[in-house]
Amino acid sequence: MLAYPLIAGVLFGLYFSLLGIGLNLVFGVMRIVNLAHGDFLMLGAFVAFGVFYLLGLDPLLAVPLAFVLFVIVGIVLYGLLVPRLQQSRDPEMLSIILFFGLSQVIEALVTIAFGTSERSIPSRELGSLMTAAAKALGAKPEGGPVDILGQSFPAAWVISAVVSVIAIGLVYVYLYRTRLGTLTRAVMSRRDEAFATGINVDRVCAAAFGIGLGLAAIAGVFAPFMFGSVTPAFGADATVTAFVIVVLGSLGNPLGTALGGVVYGICYMLVQTFLSSWADLLPYVLLILVLLLRPSGLLGRKVRVA
Amino acid sequence: MLKSAIAALGLGMAMGMSLASPVLAADAPSEIKLGTLYASSGRYASISMPVHAGLKLWVEQKNAEGGVYVKAFDKKIPIKLIAYDDQSNTATASTLYNQLITQDKVDLFVADSGSVLTAPAVTIARDHKMFLFDQTGTGGSFFSKDNPYIALMSDPVSTIWPKPIADFLTKDGPALGIKRVAILYSTNEFTGTQANSLRKFIKDANAPIEIVYDQGVPTETTNYTVILNNIRAAKPDAVIHLGYAPNDIAFLRNVQDVGIKFNMLFCIYPGLETELLEKNVGAKGLQHVFTYVPPSEMAYPVNFGMNIADYRKAWDKKYSDGKIEFGFNAVAGYTTALVIEKTLSEAASLDQMDLRKAVFGLSGKLKTLDGTFALDETGGQIGELTPLGQLELNDHGHIKFVAVYPHEVATGKPVYPRP
Repeated sequence: MLAYPLIAGVLFGLYFSLLGIGLNLVFGVMRIVNLAHGDFLMLGAFVAFGVFYLLGLDPLLAVPLAFVLFVIVGIVLYGLLVPRLQQSRDPEMLSIILFFGLSQVIEALVTIAFGTSERSIPSRELGSLMTAAAKALGAKPEGGPVDILGQSFPAAWVISAVVSVIAIGLVYVYLYRTRLGTLTRAVMSRRDEAFATGINVDRVCAAAFGIGLGLAAIAGVFAPFMFGSVTPAFGADATVTAFVIVVLGSLGNPLGTALGGVVYGICYMLVQTFLSSWADLLPYVLLILVLLLRPSGLLGRKVRVA
Repeated sequence: MLKSAIAALGLGMAMGMSLASPVLAADAPSEIKLGTLYASSGRYASISMPVHAGLKLWVEQKNAEGGVYVKAFDKKIPIKLIAYDDQSNTATASTLYNQLITQDKVDLFVADSGSVLTAPAVTIARDHKMFLFDQTGTGGSFFSKDNPYIALMSDPVSTIWPKPIADFLTKDGPALGIKRVAILYSTNEFTGTQANSLRKFIKDANAPIEIVYDQGVPTETTNYTVILNNIRAAKPDAVIHLGYAPNDIAFLRNVQDVGIKFNMLFCIYPGLETELLEKNVGAKGLQHVFTYVPPSEMAYPVNFGMNIADYRKAWDKKYSDGKIEFGFNAVAGYTTALVIEKTLSEAASLDQMDLRKAVFGLSGKLKTLDGTFALDETGGQIGELTPLGQLELNDHGHIKFVAVYPHEVATGKPVYPRP
């Protein structure tokens, strides 16, 4: 009874981590709250729809496409919006209003273009390229659910968990093993000092904003498989969930989000198992508990001195 | 004496004419204001937009013909549709419902689709003594003997929806081997009421049926994998899932993804929004699923308005882009419109109680593409019943309905257990 929700919690939690990490990266570097985060996630799902329904390809191929596309979108959007926002007296507060407006615009445009109905992709299509490749190599992939410790889980959960781990790993490599990452951490730690030492803060921030949006779009590619379907209105709920995961892990520490996502995932599955009627209260209960008991989040202290 | 009597009669007739004539002609409004809400975004958009589109199609059709016939003024008057977007938000809906009544001063007050977005309109209509044309808000608590300001147009009340399921389970179920039933429902007025009724019907039947799993989940639930594992542990012979369209999509996809096969599986929306569900779950995922049989599959004979085939043609012509699916809700919006049209052609005036009288006067007489319009004394819809059916694949791999209960409307035998 307990093994299933725990394993499900870890698998889904890793996906939750991917869902939140981009939001935290943007907040950590720029101190702006991207309330349109969930809408970029929704747009990522539409990239997957395009790859599958228009090109007839494995939706997994939408992962690199969505990432590259939204890194570019992020950099352009950063140039248009963020420098002006940073010049205001209260960029954090204004960012909430600005990105809320952006969220509404994105949702409205997608609704006009594609309608309001639920959309999804057949689950068996995710990873179909790998299945075909395995068959070509003589293997006999079984398809269907995946057995883990005697329990069966949707293959899409396992694939999304693996992609999430890879994406989080790459964020780690970016932050701790590249020069741009070092500069990013410098800006995260002390923006004014980084600026005084000659770091091109705008360039660093633009890259982080682009990567943040790119990560959201990757999470969006898996959304139709993880949540059953996606509509243009999907973004608002996704932003709330991402925000809770970010606060749970540590606001401003992207890698804390990995832990926050797994903890959230396990809590969610346990509540669904034992108190299913109350499951939608979980994000808010967790948010209140974290803010009361450990406002800095689970990995809070390491953030500012990174 | 006779002369004075004739003179008095003549005077009386003249006075009557002078009072009545202006109402029939000069005082006729230039338009009839029909106020309603719709949700173009949010959780209820997929059930709200088809209903609204059906209503809008009728308005445009009638206005192209010069308007609807209004008996109170003995002439055709164009309809002015005043519709606001509540974005699936009940707080926004409350504000906009008030605006329709107090600012726009609509003549006809029509609720948004579904029980959640209808709920605020029920109270507001009653407070303002406006008669509410309730399109698809089937929540049992909306209807009571002390509230004359509501009638349900297009669906039966939630309390009687699950009667065919319960009857099938308790009467045919034991012979088929159904003894253990699991009920999973979304905690909202529409599906919560159905779950309560189903439980009661099963209990009252005294059949050898045991409810082995009975849980509610938030309407926002989009992942059922863990819940499915819990249901499987209860070893049910039949699983009844009562949720909205997004719930059914997620539920049925998870059933496929985890590879669980329940002997009998019932969901609401594969029958009501078949196109939407087939698009998201796939025909294979819907095969053998039990569901309600919608009016589009029953092809009811009509005595007013278009029949289902003509309506489908009109719909496809107007909404050719395919952004709004044709299904049960598309029929519901048009059914509401037909009830309104017939009401205006019968009501003595546009007074709200006269409208109510005319609506109730249609009960049992009006036959639309949605079946026989019949109201109980509280305004709850008791006609337009939805039999229990099962989805099967035809020779081309497309979904087809097989009505299985009640026996008098059955078109085939149920497939049990699910292969």
